[in-house]
Amino acid sequence: MKLVKESKGVWQYHLAQNEADVLVGLLKKFPFTKIDAVKISKTDKHPKAREREKLLNESLAEHRKELKKLALDLIRPDKLKLEEKGLLMTLSSENRETMLQILNDIRVGSWRVLGEPDDLHTNTPQTSAKDLAYRSLMDLAGYFECGLLTTES
Amino acid sequence: MPTVLEPVTKPIIKKRHESDDDLAPTFYVICWNDPVNLMVYVTHVFIKIFGWNKEKAEKHMMEVHEKGKSVLVREGAEKAEFYVHQLQNYKLEATMEPAE
Repeated sequence: MKLVKESKGVWQYHLAQNEADVLVGLLKKFPFTKIDAVKISKTDKHPKAREREKLLNESLAEHRKELKKLALDLIRPDKLKLEEKGLLMTLSSENRETMLQILNDIRVGSWRVLGEPDDLHTNTPQTSAKDLAYRSLMDLAGYFECGLLTTES
Repeated sequence: MPTVLEPVTKPIIKKRHESDDDLAPTFYVICWNDPVNLMVYVTHVFIKIFGWNKEKAEKHMMEVHEKGKSVLVREGAEKAEFYVHQLQNYKLEATMEPAE
């Protein structure tokens, strides 16, 4: 995945065919994990903090539903065009942010399923097939995040 | 009929002092470290949400990475809550903690 050019808020990336296949697969199957409840504060015991936390979790659930809809929008034919030796992906700045949020949802969600390990890279013979799958998801999402954030063409 | 002198009472007008706003609780918006969010991603999110330049965003990102957390802004409840929602939409662990 390589940035081809960015101009006036339109980003174009070249993807090899196998990269495009993987990225489309990730977006089509999003989300991969259950949504986790989050804390709004580590110290605030005021009743208002509980209300805020409830609101935050409701808002995040709604946001994820919206991301799921938008994920399918990102793989429309007008955004991914066949070219020689791969595909050209064209994204607005807004599309790019959406894709980053989806990819990081996959990355962080997979990490949580894995038990929030500090060591992200060590697999052992005891690593289960399920864990290997989530580690792969985490790595793939990170790979595409880096690709999207690369500013050099 | 005797005239009764009524005491002249001035209406009590509560002056709105500038310090009224100061009394409203404020919150620190804090971003916490984790091993999963990529450094380049965290920097990007700070730039996007706070409109910071790259240097400032990287300074806070490094603080999160090295010290375990960074206080990003101090704001009133509503705005702090807004920022936490924005940061959490990007899956960064962010909380709002009472400033006092």
